[in-house]
Amino acid sequence: MVVFYRRMPRFEYLKPQRFEDVLELLADGTPNRYRVFAGGTDLMDQLKQRKIDVPETVIDLKGLAELDFIDFDKSSGLRIGALTTVTDVANSPEIDQHYSALAQGAREIASIQIQNRATITGNICNAVSSADSAPPLLALGAEVVCATGKGERSIKIEDFFTGPGETVLQPDELVKEIKLPPPTKGSNSVYLKLAPRGRMDLAWIGVAVWAEISAGKFTEVRIGLGAAAPTPIRTPKAEAALRGAEVSQKNIEAAAALASGEAKPRENSFRAGGEYRHMMVEVLVKRALTQLAG
Amino acid sequence: MSDQPAKIGDNWPNLIGKRLPRVDAVEKVNGDAKYAGDFNMAGQLWMKILRSPHAHAKIISIDASKALDMPGVKAVVTAEDFKGWSWGWGPQTRDETPLAEGKVRYFAEAVAAVAAEDEETAEEACALIDVVYEELPGIFDAEEAMQDGAPQVHDYVENNQSWDFHMDYGDVEKGFAEADLVREDRFETGRTLTGFLEPPAAVAQYDTAGITIYAAKQSPYFIYRQLASCFKLPLSKVRVIQPYVGGGFGGTKNDSTAGDFCAVMLAKKTKRPVKFVYNMEEVLTTCRRRHNMIVDCKMGMKKDGTITAVQTKVIADGGAYTAIGPLTMYLTGIMTTLPYKLDNYKHDAYRIFTNHPVSAAMRGHGVTHTRFAAEIQMEKMADELGIDPVEVRMKNAIEAPHETINGITVDTCGLKEGLEIVSSSTAWKDKDKNKKDGPVVRGVGISGTSHLGGARQRGHQSCAAIVRLCEDGTVNYLTGASDAGQGSDTVLVQLVAEELGLTMEDVTIQRVDTAVTPVDNGSYGSRVTILAGQAAQKAAQEVKRQLAEAAAKVWQVDAEKILFNDRTVFVDGDPDKSMPFRKLTQIACYSESGAVIMGKGYSEYGIEKMDFEKGYGNPGVNYSFTSQLSAVDVDLETGMVKAKDFLIAHDCGRPLHPVNVEAQTQGAASQGLGQALYENFKMHEGRTMNSTMVNYMMPLSTEHPDFELHDIITDDPHGPFGAKEASEGSIISTPPSIVSAIHDATGIWFTKLPVTPEKIVLALKEKKERENAQKKESE
Amino acid sequence: MDKITCNFVVNGSAEEVSFPPNRTLLHMLREDLLFHGVREGCSHGECGSCNVILDGKLVNACLILAAEADGLEILTVEGMADGEDLHPIQQAFVDESGMQCGACTTGMILSTKNLLDANPDPSREEIKDALAGNFCRCTGYAKIFESVEAAAETMKGGQQ
Repeated sequence: MVVFYRRMPRFEYLKPQRFEDVLELLADGTPNRYRVFAGGTDLMDQLKQRKIDVPETVIDLKGLAELDFIDFDKSSGLRIGALTTVTDVANSPEIDQHYSALAQGAREIASIQIQNRATITGNICNAVSSADSAPPLLALGAEVVCATGKGERSIKIEDFFTGPGETVLQPDELVKEIKLPPPTKGSNSVYLKLAPRGRMDLAWIGVAVWAEISAGKFTEVRIGLGAAAPTPIRTPKAEAALRGAEVSQKNIEAAAALASGEAKPRENSFRAGGEYRHMMVEVLVKRALTQLAG
Repeated sequence: MSDQPAKIGDNWPNLIGKRLPRVDAVEKVNGDAKYAGDFNMAGQLWMKILRSPHAHAKIISIDASKALDMPGVKAVVTAEDFKGWSWGWGPQTRDETPLAEGKVRYFAEAVAAVAAEDEETAEEACALIDVVYEELPGIFDAEEAMQDGAPQVHDYVENNQSWDFHMDYGDVEKGFAEADLVREDRFETGRTLTGFLEPPAAVAQYDTAGITIYAAKQSPYFIYRQLASCFKLPLSKVRVIQPYVGGGFGGTKNDSTAGDFCAVMLAKKTKRPVKFVYNMEEVLTTCRRRHNMIVDCKMGMKKDGTITAVQTKVIADGGAYTAIGPLTMYLTGIMTTLPYKLDNYKHDAYRIFTNHPVSAAMRGHGVTHTRFAAEIQMEKMADELGIDPVEVRMKNAIEAPHETINGITVDTCGLKEGLEIVSSSTAWKDKDKNKKDGPVVRGVGISGTSHLGGARQRGHQSCAAIVRLCEDGTVNYLTGASDAGQGSDTVLVQLVAEELGLTMEDVTIQRVDTAVTPVDNGSYGSRVTILAGQAAQKAAQEVKRQLAEAAAKVWQVDAEKILFNDRTVFVDGDPDKSMPFRKLTQIACYSESGAVIMGKGYSEYGIEKMDFEKGYGNPGVNYSFTSQLSAVDVDLETGMVKAKDFLIAHDCGRPLHPVNVEAQTQGAASQGLGQALYENFKMHEGRTMNSTMVNYMMPLSTEHPDFELHDIITDDPHGPFGAKEASEGSIISTPPSIVSAIHDATGIWFTKLPVTPEKIVLALKEKKERENAQKKESE
Repeated sequence: MDKITCNFVVNGSAEEVSFPPNRTLLHMLREDLLFHGVREGCSHGECGSCNVILDGKLVNACLILAAEADGLEILTVEGMADGEDLHPIQQAFVDESGMQCGACTTGMILSTKNLLDANPDPSREEIKDALAGNFCRCTGYAKIFESVEAAAETMKGGQQ
């Protein structure tokens, strides 16, 4: 059966004003009873296309004004509330200065119209491998703070994604904020997106690199890849190879080759084939590291 | 200018050639413009179509009882309701039914439709219709479909051959024998989307007065005839009203859709108006698309670059039904004899049925495929012979007057002038200097192409106009010609106002209403300005004649001495005898006879004989020539290509509305850019994998280059004020110039469109490996 | 699914509207309030033809529930002109012929407003970036860019 839907399926709408109220609703546990959303740019589209199970009630989180914040402190780091929009992240001077890859990634997420509604938290909760915020968050060492009625936990971003469209979040769990460690001396980061039409395309490959350079050596490096595997991934081998290594074109190229080997792209996608994507991981990692090496 | 009447002052013409605002501009910026989906009728129902989940399957049974039991559902239609009526090209190939009958032949073909009180209910009811299918093996490749034993899409043809078309002029074997170099190459063009932004929509009513339908159509008289035939009504009882149309570009909006037939049938069944709007994914999955083609091209060339013969074989994936496909096949062949001299030409074209959505017309219809192939092959051969890309074109370019070997007559041709313009640009002269070291490299390429205007093809060619004078001196202009956004309404108003010496504001153009406006074939083949333009001129002249007679009576002079200009009527050479246009209108209308002043006119261009079967004679009224330079940046590591500059020198005879001519050239080039670099439906077992706009990838604001445009004025004798086509030329010229530019940057000739980043990177890798291997061998 | 009632200020007028909770902002504006200048193109947030300015921000009305806009101000293209006088951006699109079929035009105009409100003197590259979420198949964008530039020029001259 094929029907090209123009209308939303039927559901109820709730907009609680308190965080605890949302947790209480989610504690219900009945499958497809509730579905939360912030900006709704992914959820509304998926519902319209009947790509996901239709919940009885959608819960609009925008009543929880306290979750819309960007909080930066040089010693404790950065906190981004679950309701903070992509626009606000893209325009934040602190993020631009200390977490460049994230600001760059945010600017690459679709149109201004989408960025004005979508949230960074929603971008990762939707858990597509090409999400432009995921590689920067991986490279920057982010943690996702989640809550249930029973308490909170903090999840490392590399443990957050479990498969295409899937995360470790439990049905009764709600993301509260994303935390990033404080900037360290000599560190910088960059995000490079490969797509024919730039921001409006889903990334064919997204590469974020965070590197700390001291006395001509890479002291610490983290690399995040998007659209290079079923989920956004880190590249431990390439990172290990660079740790303590001299900043040189040779080392950069060797690490880029390793990162390419760590990618596991789909062999056949209508966007591009596996061989091409492997090659592009290498090109982009090389370019990102070269940029950071300055 | 060929149509210049008695000269009225130095400023004539007042309007033609001027940079005037479009007549529809204000409505389009303030939100007033109404499109089909904006219309609602009292008591209307909403319709939704249920579509097939299989690309090829027998329909065993359809049970709609559960859907009909649902509250709010008013009726369901299936193929049975249409009693075997079918439509398509020509009597032998009417193979498409409004809803699939007995068998579905492509994925998401329409199977049933529901009318309900609201759209949600109609959508939900579709899910309750029980259709039992028996899946059949599908065929998804045109060449495989031609083999014996392949699954058959239709029973009425063998080996899935939908249509074939053959041309044979001169002696190609002799031509190849005379050549110093003969090449054979295979080219492929992509399956592409027309890309209009307004999805098909309509609201239909069926009562004792007949059918009334507001529908988004660029050829409203096609659906007018199809509905009359389907519902066995006289044409006088079919009223198609055309609101603003949100883009057309051929194919879907020329034709009727399943939605149109079903909405009317459901309106008939329920006695309520029925409305539907397609969604964009439905458009990308089920609507007409450009044929993807394999073009095997063989060309002979002498050492000096002279082309001695061309032989082409085309295999086109026609999809599941005939539609307008035979015309596509004709067009792949007929235009290859332009714009380069060619004495020996043979062409064999095969349209093949597959279990893909239906292929049909799109801007640059048929021509773009074979011209791309010939253009690239010519340059490739020139490259091998050490001849410059400009030189090989100048060597072979035709000059007017010219008659091709298949009887196309060209009276004006600005090709050489255009090639001179592009090749004398600094972008061309300095192209080696500007190349850059990489990884991003600048490439520059050129092309020189031709397109027909005033498409005539075959059958009914009508294009008429009525100019109705209001007693206050303003004008209602009625035409069946349709503006799908290209700006033809503005040009037609200009022509009428120019003839009558009025201003643009004095003339109001009525959008098509088949109960009121004269029959017209609509917008395709760059025909509106040329054919409807002549009709407009003649209708206005007819009004002028009647008014001149009234004025002649007043002033007791010869009617031929009466002139019209600047809302004033006067006697030539006698400035004392003048009066406002409005006053003469009143005198004429209030004369004792109670005269009603109306003028009619119809186009008479392009009515000489032609032989469609053999591809002999003129396919159009006249021919435009486009020369283009494209500059692109190619990232040699990622394969990403960015168009930077398009320099286009276009011979459209004379631009009547220069802003529209520029806009058409830019828009067509934009679509050519899409075809060259980005666009192609990716299919898997009949399903369209990239069926959303984000995944199909049409060029956006960020992909567009800077344009530099040049008009070449040639004043063709066969168009109003010398006009030729302006809306398709650059969709032909853009892909070869981009591919040539990519060659300039990479040293590789790409022959399959679109040239994607992946193709570039893998080809460069292969080239490097080959060079390394050669190096090793020579060591 | 009972109807819910919400309040909006649309183009300066207070509106109370009842609709089922699954109603999108797009369909509420088009079908309940009859602002058909808010056009429906792709319905997936990819084309920008349904653009409105919601609470001061440019958004795609197709991806927002009407209920989410409860209590907020909405500007559609119908609210741009001052009576018969077109907004300078609209006038620039008329003067420069920044449209063909018109399906994208109203969204383009709102995107342009969003751009020029924040950046009165944008470069060509900034214009391209600001319009990336607005699809046009007809024009090749050249005349749209020229319209935006002309509007910026007029608005800089003090006209509003």
